[in-house]
Amino acid sequence: MVKGYSRPRSLDEALEMLARLTPRALPIAGGTDLLVDLREGRLGECHLVDISRLEELKVLEKRSGKIRVGAGLTFSEVERSGLLRECAPVLVKASSQVGSLQIRNVGTIGGNVAHCSPAADTIPALLVHRAKVVLRSSNGSREVALEALLGGPYKALLAPGELITEFVLEDASHMWGEFSKIGRRRELAIARLSLAALARKEDGRIGELYLALGAGTPVPRRMESAERALLGKRPQEGDLWEAGWLMAQEMVSVSGPRPSTHYKEKAACGLLVRTLLPLLEDGS
Amino acid sequence: MNPEEKIRISFRLNGREVEAHVLPGETALHLLRERLGLRGVKEGCGIGECGACTIVVDKKAVNSCLMLAAQLHGCEVLTVEGLESPVGLHPLQEAFLEHDAIQCGYCTPGMLLSAYALIVSRGVPTREEIVRALAGNLCRCTGYHQIVDAVQDAARRMAGKEEGRW
Repeated sequence: MVKGYSRPRSLDEALEMLARLTPRALPIAGGTDLLVDLREGRLGECHLVDISRLEELKVLEKRSGKIRVGAGLTFSEVERSGLLRECAPVLVKASSQVGSLQIRNVGTIGGNVAHCSPAADTIPALLVHRAKVVLRSSNGSREVALEALLGGPYKALLAPGELITEFVLEDASHMWGEFSKIGRRRELAIARLSLAALARKEDGRIGELYLALGAGTPVPRRMESAERALLGKRPQEGDLWEAGWLMAQEMVSVSGPRPSTHYKEKAACGLLVRTLLPLLEDGS
Repeated sequence: MNPEEKIRISFRLNGREVEAHVLPGETALHLLRERLGLRGVKEGCGIGECGACTIVVDKKAVNSCLMLAAQLHGCEVLTVEGLESPVGLHPLQEAFLEHDAIQCGYCTPGMLLSAYALIVSRGVPTREEIVRALAGNLCRCTGYHQIVDAVQDAARRMAGKEEGRW
């Protein structure tokens, strides 16, 4: 039940409101997840604080080798950004595959992370970009690794009155990146599995590789067993299948056996192979 | 009886200034359709999957079922009722008729508005751009081909013409 709505004019005013109205305060940005929860009756009594127009949350810049990306940027804004296309290719690809255009036009990356769905498209992407999250409250600010914020399905570990203000990414210029997902249909589908991949080749060998799986574990996570298996290699297709299998095993060891395991094990393996094919020796 | 505060908002709706008092949890869809009588704004799924409730807010297509009415404050809003002018139907509407892009008609207002937002931002879009921009609008009757044809045709007709009714 929504009991109130406020539209603060600045970030400081928003943080002050969130502090004053806690624990009922609930920030709303694009609202594309929140309004579904509201309709389904999953929200308790709350007061909405509208942060969708705060310019302070739309930072976009490269500073001392890091890319600062405002949490209030919409998926469409991320997709269109020249800076991000160059320096954060996986985030751009993941954002362009979220929901529909109507959703991408208002939904934000900060909201995607704060909602913390196991299938959130931008979380695996931010993980391979080794994102740090900047959090602010009326008491100050802190910066944590994205992994530390992912407490469980739909449970971002935000303190009361705390807001995600930006993400700080490693510069991925000149790196190869991809984001692929398996859904029940091509558009608008919630990912059944998604894979973010970021890599750099050095003289035909894989010099750097970051992989993160979405929707396969309670929260998206880096898949280090598969990364290690391929690092330093000039991979052949067989190496990809081996890495895919390692990733599937890592997924199952984290999630435990589930009704969908038989399917997801093979699907995860195939998804890795399909996604990383361009990294093969003779790949384009 | 109702302890909730009402919020006063004003915005431009189909070219006219309007004011409304809205509840904090009220959707834009509810305000436009049920209270302002714009029946072209359809509620299909209510969770952002079908696009029947699509409206154009500040030149962008959005799902009105997933937006708060309060968030319309200060915005420029277009519904299908604002597409037609005193001179007649909008070129997109004409093209939909000519290409038989309508069967039951339920998805049509949303389709028109997604197409409108696309053409306003891209001019004459490619077929792929049209398909991508309309992917959030489901149609269970036509099979989409006629709709894509109609949008392409309308975009060509609109090219170069002033779209000054915002």
